[in-house]
Amino acid sequence: MKQNDVIVIGGGLAGLFAAITAAKRGRRVLIVTKGVGAIAIGGGSIDMLGYDQAGAPVRNPREALAALGQDHPYSILGQQKVEQAMQEFIALCAAEGYPYMGNLQQNQWIPTALGRVKPTCLTPLTMNAASLKAATEVTVVEFEGLKDYCGKVIVEGLMQCPGYQKKYSVVSVRTDINDGRDLTALDVARWLDSESGQAACFTQIAHCVAPNSVILLPPVLGTQPDYSLLEKIEQATQCKAIETVGLPPAVTGYRLRRMLVNCLSKLNVKLIEQANVLRATLENGRCSGIVTGNLDRERTYRANSFILATGGFFGGGLQAGAGQATEVVFDLPVPAPADPGAWSNESLFFSGSQPFAKFGVQVDARLRPVDAIGQLLLENVFIAGKTLAGYDYCFEKSGNGVALATAYQAGCEA
Amino acid sequence: MKKHQYNPDSCIACTSCVAYCPVSAATRKFAGPKMLGPALERFRGGETNTDFSLDYCANCKNCDISCPSGVPISTLNMLARAKQYKNKRRSLLDWMMSHSDIMSKLASPMAALSNFGMANPLTKLILKQVGITDTMSLPKYARKTFLSQFRAFKQQSFPDKVVFFPGCFINYYAPEVGMDLVAVMQKNNLEVIVPEGLDCCGSPLVGKGYLDEAMEKGRKNIAALKSLIDHGIPVLTCCTSCGLMLKMEYQELMDLDHMEKLAANTYDASEFLLERHEQGKLNLDLAPVAGRYIYHTPCHLRAQGIGRPSFDLLSMIPDFQIEAADAGCCGQSGTYGFEVAKHDIAMEIAEPVFQRIKEYHPDFIVSDCSGCRMQLSQGTGFPALHPITILRQSYEGKQS
Repeated sequence: MKQNDVIVIGGGLAGLFAAITAAKRGRRVLIVTKGVGAIAIGGGSIDMLGYDQAGAPVRNPREALAALGQDHPYSILGQQKVEQAMQEFIALCAAEGYPYMGNLQQNQWIPTALGRVKPTCLTPLTMNAASLKAATEVTVVEFEGLKDYCGKVIVEGLMQCPGYQKKYSVVSVRTDINDGRDLTALDVARWLDSESGQAACFTQIAHCVAPNSVILLPPVLGTQPDYSLLEKIEQATQCKAIETVGLPPAVTGYRLRRMLVNCLSKLNVKLIEQANVLRATLENGRCSGIVTGNLDRERTYRANSFILATGGFFGGGLQAGAGQATEVVFDLPVPAPADPGAWSNESLFFSGSQPFAKFGVQVDARLRPVDAIGQLLLENVFIAGKTLAGYDYCFEKSGNGVALATAYQAGCEA
Repeated sequence: MKKHQYNPDSCIACTSCVAYCPVSAATRKFAGPKMLGPALERFRGGETNTDFSLDYCANCKNCDISCPSGVPISTLNMLARAKQYKNKRRSLLDWMMSHSDIMSKLASPMAALSNFGMANPLTKLILKQVGITDTMSLPKYARKTFLSQFRAFKQQSFPDKVVFFPGCFINYYAPEVGMDLVAVMQKNNLEVIVPEGLDCCGSPLVGKGYLDEAMEKGRKNIAALKSLIDHGIPVLTCCTSCGLMLKMEYQELMDLDHMEKLAANTYDASEFLLERHEQGKLNLDLAPVAGRYIYHTPCHLRAQGIGRPSFDLLSMIPDFQIEAADAGCCGQSGTYGFEVAKHDIAMEIAEPVFQRIKEYHPDFIVSDCSGCRMQLSQGTGFPALHPITILRQSYEGKQS
């Protein structure tokens, strides 16, 4: 159908959650997307705010929101809306049988595949940071052939993290996957989806872990958005199982996306994949339609309002040229220093925030695009996620958090 | 000038394609789309290094659909496959799997005899030696091809015309789908033209690396359609693989004169009818159709970037009970699932879809692609229909 109430451009976490929010308010929603979004290979935990603007770790994100600059998306929304968005997301996950844990008042520190701990706010039950913190004995389970997950590295790393000096051991599980291409966590997760994989893996672990200790695994506990495998492994080993943050394809994000896409079909949200949005058709300050272009021809899709969730430079929503950056679909202004030298710090791993990371489109309180002096540009276009200016999600650890909060707001507005 | 110079460097190795490739999920033997597509492409500049795991790519397009950077991974794989097999001796299996149009021309005139011949155990044994699975029944030749039925059929003439590109499967195995298309068009005051000189779209040839032969088919089809397209008459298909070839793959893989014009005028039949609806020209005199239906979206339809037009169209039939399966790829991918070496992979890929369909327990499975219909009906035991067939039933108020 070419006539819709709301068209969402972009199928990442922001696009999916905005579409679900709008659909739950009875809107006829169409999502137009190219690619599966960073969520599909990402970590799947929701970082609301991990570090403050000075780079210090945040204990209580709710309080830390107040210290953010006023052009940060969280400040534009206000703390109350951010909390409401989080509650909606938590309720959605619970309703889908894949509950998330955590709240805005307290960050959790979850283990990573490099033996560090990373601040996040909401996590699936398989990443229960508290039980790791409380554990005295931890067994790190690695899988033979699985790249980028080495028990020794994790143990050495965690031992240097304050509060994580525990009794560690490493167990290496043999999978029957031994031929063909390299192993990824997703391959192991698929192996564990099978009964034979579960049996082989759990027995290997069970007889070399002390009961009531904690097992640390890569994100391999199945590919479905449910906790059946978590229950099975904890039952089989009589231990608490915890997945670490992994490298792409990180299965925890794959599961979250699968859950959200399942929601779409329940809410009759239409999805058009492989649709490259070239531009929009504008009529006196309003968007009347968007134009997709494939190799055969262009097509126009109309709606009353639009949610732009095409992401930043990675998602393709923003593009960088020499000394200027552009927003791809609506050609909205993206303020950036003319001198490219001022875009970033010389050292790649600079301890502070990189200027280019905050590039994006500036918006009003309803997330509608405005120009440099605050003039409203489009009254029926609402922006969510990394297309927005004013935050550096890598530095702040706020990517999924801003995506959720702004998606919720845009979904309520559209 | 070939329209698309493919730059593998736009790939940032994010692994989205590996995560969503159905073949990679089913077998370890396949090195994966990222490795074989953009990664290996960087080393193919010079001599070709043969990587036989490339044979496992089913050209189902899930990698292109999932890629956030717009890398045409399947195209890189198909070009590499063509390069790899160029002037090399080919197996009988590879020839048979990609030249069903020629085999059908020979076998179809005596359909009953051919079907009997194909079905008996001795032939099945021989075919198995050739490499064709015996655990799946091959499609049966129709007694009368679509083209012969169409030529014998007296259409009502209308000023508005459409061209129908039937494709091999509909012509030789499922002519009723073609006749249903004609009936639906007539109900919408459209006259169907099927020009002489049409041939296979070339999709099976591309799949097996016979790119030069596929280009020949492309030239023949464009020659047969050229004058009609120049008059702006839309070309309709009822097979999503033929549609993808005409709309996109000619331009992605070949350099044919007039290919852009053909693509701009090619429509999936349901896409065309939905656009007629938006112009207020669709016949909405639709009678209810009883039964429970489950719709499977073919991957080659998802790759066309137009969503699910037939699902939206059928939803307009009064109180029509249809649900989307949304359970992934059926694994058949043209003739891929017929091969002994690949049949188990196809069945493993299809397992979630089989399960979803069995749980729903439909009266009919609905899908636009003949390969999907064949795989899903054989895998679940439920009959499968093309959406156009159901639309005809609704127009004619009676169900076969």
